[in-house]
Amino acid sequence: MKKHKKNRNVAIIGIGQTSLSSHKEDQNQAEMIYEAVRSALADAKMTLNDIDCIVHGNMELFEMQFQPDMWHAIGSGAFGKDEYRITTGGTTGATLVCAADSLVASGMYETVLAIGFEKLQEANTTGGITNMSDPLWFRNLQTGALTGTTATDMIDEFGEERAKRASMKYRIMMDKHAMLNPRAHRRLGLEYDQMEDLMKNSPQLVGELRLIHMCSQSDGACAMIFTSEDSVKKKGTAKPPVWIRDHETSHREETMSNLFGFKRPKMTHRDCAEKLFKRNGVKDPVEYFDVFEMYDPSSWWAMDWLREFLLLKDDEHLKLLEAGEFDLDGKCPINPSGGVIASNPIGATAMLRPAEAAMQIRGDAGAHQIKKEVRHALASGFGGTLWTVMIMLEKELNW
Amino acid sequence: MEYFGTTVADIFNTMPKRFIPEEAKDVDIVIGYEATGPGGGKWKAIMKHGTLKVETVEGELTGCNTTIQADAETFVGVTLGKITAIDALTNQKLRVVGDVKLLMTLLPKVFVPYSITPAKKEVTARDILSTVKDRFRRDKAQGVTLSFGYDLAGEGGGQWSIIIKDGKCTVKEGLEDNLTVKMTMDAGTYVGMMTGTLDTVAAFTSGKVKIDGDMMAAGATAKYFNKYVDPNAQEAEELLSVKVITSVGMRFATGPVMGKWFKGMKEKKFLANVCPSCKRTQIPPREVCAFCHIRAGEYVELGPEGTVTNYDIVYYASPDPLTGVVRNTPYAGVFVMLDGATEQEALSFELKTEDIPKLKKGARVRPVWSDKPKGHFSDILYFEIIN
Repeated sequence: MKKHKKNRNVAIIGIGQTSLSSHKEDQNQAEMIYEAVRSALADAKMTLNDIDCIVHGNMELFEMQFQPDMWHAIGSGAFGKDEYRITTGGTTGATLVCAADSLVASGMYETVLAIGFEKLQEANTTGGITNMSDPLWFRNLQTGALTGTTATDMIDEFGEERAKRASMKYRIMMDKHAMLNPRAHRRLGLEYDQMEDLMKNSPQLVGELRLIHMCSQSDGACAMIFTSEDSVKKKGTAKPPVWIRDHETSHREETMSNLFGFKRPKMTHRDCAEKLFKRNGVKDPVEYFDVFEMYDPSSWWAMDWLREFLLLKDDEHLKLLEAGEFDLDGKCPINPSGGVIASNPIGATAMLRPAEAAMQIRGDAGAHQIKKEVRHALASGFGGTLWTVMIMLEKELNW
Repeated sequence: MEYFGTTVADIFNTMPKRFIPEEAKDVDIVIGYEATGPGGGKWKAIMKHGTLKVETVEGELTGCNTTIQADAETFVGVTLGKITAIDALTNQKLRVVGDVKLLMTLLPKVFVPYSITPAKKEVTARDILSTVKDRFRRDKAQGVTLSFGYDLAGEGGGQWSIIIKDGKCTVKEGLEDNLTVKMTMDAGTYVGMMTGTLDTVAAFTSGKVKIDGDMMAAGATAKYFNKYVDPNAQEAEELLSVKVITSVGMRFATGPVMGKWFKGMKEKKFLANVCPSCKRTQIPPREVCAFCHIRAGEYVELGPEGTVTNYDIVYYASPDPLTGVVRNTPYAGVFVMLDGATEQEALSFELKTEDIPKLKKGARVRPVWSDKPKGHFSDILYFEIIN
């Protein structure tokens, strides 16, 4: 059996997103989705008549809304169309992209619209996350996505000063990127000279995980349109097509309580990256990828995870950060959009990663566009008790 | 100095009025407030057993359990909810020295939220008449020539004429000659009819409005103008959100494998099941080893003592997922390698709060059980550090 063989190639031909903010009281859920769908259709110069199928997703546990896809038909335009609802927690957005890719690649549909959204203002995120945890054991200890264990481990491994500085440098770099992205939710205007102050004085959430390190809770929606290579060639596209080369998903056992034994299990990020890169002949991801839009819920996790995603060892990830290689003009820029730390409408968050990465390839990301040409892009989604989705995007059909 | 239409001082001036003594019966605390920059100042809120004293402070803020600092604009913005508190805390514009969770727990409980009541401006006849030209509907008035006179008595009264001619509308003070119709009434009646608080037909029929001239024209005035909207009435059209608290009772079956674990709890034992292939000791027990894809059968007892491999000291006051009540902080969760467990199989549980200062990786711990275990995770009260 040859796994992950596509029946035909699939391109991203339309991208739309709303602004991402802490409050969207001027729109209900369906209205917010409508805005993203409208903007994706306008981007692709298409109408709803061109869409064969809709894939819709969020983390339903947050808003406690049963059958949101039905309620949102007025905003999604799903009347009379085939529709799938996908909800995989934090990874929802990335899984939506994988599903849309598979639906087109299989030949089942010519053109698919995927929509990811969340209105965290209307929900209780920590309540939702804790309620997803095993009800029989460990739920009593859940604190949502907050944990200081990674900070503790990094401080143990690299020393307090270097570890804390790396985490803060990453955080301020993300804010500098977010300042260039007018849609980003949190744009704080941080400067590198605030590093010492923030490291010491930002309120502690859990251990050395401080408020400044943690992502926001946002409202927002993202919509993307996918079509086949045949369609791209026959009908042309309004914007340059961005090709989905491959994607991979890795899970682990559902409980988090046995993550911290004497020996650590291999992280899903590394497992996922190894499989994806091997299949696609990527020898050195830092060299190969021109941008990586990573799902980075906190700056501690971000720094720790870069080592896993980019298959680095020891302190290579810290050295790359310290040398500015993750900056917009670095070797492998991370999250030009400002990332999840800046904006986190959960059901849309993991879709915004490939959406932003695709905009970088098209070259129309705006003020946060990377200056040099972006040909190969990587995007990741994260959720649950370590669930990883990775998506590879290409400018050309080069494989 | 005003921010968002109010001052920092007003927040403190209204504090005693907003205080809810019943909620503060057990409270004994001094909170210091420092609003910096123009319009700022220093205040102290002294709460003791259901009483509140608010004082302004010159010089240093001393003797406070917790101090809240921000520039005056941030201070007002956060108080009014115009600036998200968590954002202000994140970018350090709002700083709390002491107990941060006061912001989320105590303060919302003991104070009615501060809000500004916009000074309600009474609408006058003049206000309404000044909008006539903007509300004029040219499309309805093609070829129409009409002139209305208003003779309004009482406070806010006066005389006005509205002239519609050649598709144009003009408003003049005073009563023109040759009016199509003149309406005489109290200014209050006019305002009431225009803002919808008084029924127009009733006002006409009850004689509150005296009509001289073309009765039909008087009744047709509404046709040529868009409805007057009271700018002060905008409040009624504000964006509303519906608040719902969902609380449901749940019931989860444990199944025979997890059931065995809880049975062990009843006897104050940790029962792991062992993978026959890789020999790992699964806790809590699971039907199948996810690595070897093989049914795990044999049960072994682990611990009860163990070694801490990692931990979370939680300062953020999140709701307890079991009760919805905001937890007391700090509390700590520990990952424990029970004696006899295989190298990847940690157990996580809460640590005794008093032991937090002694907590470090490698610490030896033991469980403290409840007197009457009933087969539930609450059978373990917490783990404590063995000295």
